[in-house]
Amino acid sequence: MTAPDDAPARRRAPAAADGQWHRVHPLTPAVKSWQVLVFVLVFLAQDYGQQAFRGGFGDEGGGDGGFDVGRIGTGLLAGGSAVIAVVVLAAVGFAVLSWRMTRYRLTAEALELHQGVLFRRQRAARLDRLQAVDVVQPLVARIFGLARLNLEVAGAGDSKIELAYLTHEQAQSLRGHLLARAAGVVYETDEAPQAPEHHVFELPLQRLFGSLLLSGAFATAVVAALAFVAFGVVSVLVGNGDLGPFAAGGIPLLLGVGGVLWGRFSNGFGFRVATSPDGVRLRHGLLEQRTQTVPPGRVQAVRLSQPLLWRGVDWWNVRVNVAGYGGGSGEQSGESETTLLPVADRREALTVLAMVVPDLGVVPPEHPVAVVEAALSGSGTASGFVTSPRSARWLDPLAWRRTGYRATEQVLLVRRGRLTRQVDVVPHARTQSLGVRQGPVQRRLGLATFAVHSTPGPVSPVVAHLSSTAAAVLLAEQAGRSRVARLAAGPERWMDVAGSISPAAGSPSTAADPPGTDPPGTDPPAAGPAPDARPPAATS
Amino acid sequence: MGSSRASEPFDPDGVVWSSVSPRLASARRVSGCLPLLVLATGCAVAAVVVPWPPLWPPVVVFAGLTVWVYWLAGRQARAWGYAEREDDLLVRSGILFRRVVVVPYGRMQFVDVQAGPIDRAFGIARVQLHTASAASDAAIPGLSPDEAARLRDRLASRGQAQLAGL
Repeated sequence: MTAPDDAPARRRAPAAADGQWHRVHPLTPAVKSWQVLVFVLVFLAQDYGQQAFRGGFGDEGGGDGGFDVGRIGTGLLAGGSAVIAVVVLAAVGFAVLSWRMTRYRLTAEALELHQGVLFRRQRAARLDRLQAVDVVQPLVARIFGLARLNLEVAGAGDSKIELAYLTHEQAQSLRGHLLARAAGVVYETDEAPQAPEHHVFELPLQRLFGSLLLSGAFATAVVAALAFVAFGVVSVLVGNGDLGPFAAGGIPLLLGVGGVLWGRFSNGFGFRVATSPDGVRLRHGLLEQRTQTVPPGRVQAVRLSQPLLWRGVDWWNVRVNVAGYGGGSGEQSGESETTLLPVADRREALTVLAMVVPDLGVVPPEHPVAVVEAALSGSGTASGFVTSPRSARWLDPLAWRRTGYRATEQVLLVRRGRLTRQVDVVPHARTQSLGVRQGPVQRRLGLATFAVHSTPGPVSPVVAHLSSTAAAVLLAEQAGRSRVARLAAGPERWMDVAGSISPAAGSPSTAADPPGTDPPGTDPPAAGPAPDARPPAATS
Repeated sequence: MGSSRASEPFDPDGVVWSSVSPRLASARRVSGCLPLLVLATGCAVAAVVVPWPPLWPPVVVFAGLTVWVYWLAGRQARAWGYAEREDDLLVRSGILFRRVVVVPYGRMQFVDVQAGPIDRAFGIARVQLHTASAASDAAIPGLSPDEAARLRDRLASRGQAQLAGL
């Protein structure tokens, strides 16, 4: 189940890409509404158990009235069962109908999905606008070997196409086709070979635990628990020891914190990062497993952040903006989707940064790592950073020396935060628009705040309190830089740019992969440090 | 004011700003002042008729707010400006809290032209550019319908010519 999705999908992939209409898996209604099924089963079991119990009681006791009450109860329960049965039948009928109405088709340009019983919806997503493909397996789907395929295109609001549920193999095969076609590669065969993966990062369980122990949420919980104990002791010593009101306040807090921590744990469990010609591939999740593929050039912005308690161990959290992911803006938006690394040391964070932003645009005399190091933990004007002027100390006494930006040929690096550090990286080619704001106090001090507008997501790069002259210069220069970078940016179909697709070359994943010798559970073969081309079509 | 310090981000060199219609101020005055005026007169009438003197302070407050909104609407309308450059559109606004937004044409996803009943009565419309970012709030209120249509078509055609992926 946790095996890397490689060999089986390739060996016997169903013809997902034949251009015909397909239905989703017949078990879909059951998997989608398993909670209802469980509820009904529990109700029926309880019903049966109560009847049996009352029957036994009536036989044994035979007291006055007890028998009658039992019979009335049984009658009510039987009536309830009948109602439930009707409702369940109607629901099942609707689910089956809805399943029959759900069809999808993969054409050369688009993935089309038709669904809906009363309100029909037909949606076609253009593949050259594809932003990411996720294969998601909730726990129940995993038990049945099913998976959901999410295709993200960059639309406002809910723009994804969700194919639920396919068999896991179908989902992987379809993902291969989607990515191949989105990349601009056309395969003659029915099967698109999966791009070779190069394993980059795996999150050890100890570090995941460590990161949770060192999190602000956990610290809050500890402080709250200590306060609770202290209050309890005082209350017992001094007064009547009535803890009720305080417990009522404290328990929801602890539950909330527990929920947050559990969410992070469950999401970060078994977090693995791999690189492939199709882009970055992430796998993670304890109960709900998620395999994400973000093609090259789809990462709009990256944020590396370090909470206060992680400074000692120098761990970093890496989040990304990908159009279509997340839904809303803000720190917590789509945490399960937009996390590139839940917790990593500095070297790993830099490696993964280099994967999603391959060219930092630092010209040779300078070393890219030095620039990023200065961004991560530096302050002052070293490595070409432009920081807030001295007058900013009134508005930001702690971090004004650190707040700053550095524009290279390709990206804008924004750093901020003295206690909790943050670094945003935005490729010039991915800048949507720019803005400068200035409040009355800033105006007095000759300051202005510069912002790069990126797609909705956790990263919103802002350089606060630059000198207004610097902000003006940055605004003008950045507009020019992003214009130039846009013109030079690669095509949406990322394989069009390579031009290295030679059908004669040996394919590492199709030719050198005799069926049956690839037991599930092994890592995908390491295909060199940076495989730069998708395996060519097996046409020869 | 402050025209000597023109190397500010809100007045880049070589940018000729177009201002919006002064009718924007009138429209804002109607939508802002009328409710306040109604409240003020309501309180005043009640204070006289009931009669209940403690209602006079609210009357003063609402009247003061009316005057302030009236004055502010004019200033704010004058502060709006936009400029079409070769590759991008600049929009600036605000007096106390100033801001300027630069939206490249190639980043534009769609253009909205809106006009509510009050706007229509004063013959103005609002043009808003949308990019893939929710943060790039580039809206120009108070354009004459002709100018709004012209701007919309011009932006759309320029966006088409310079269209880029995300």
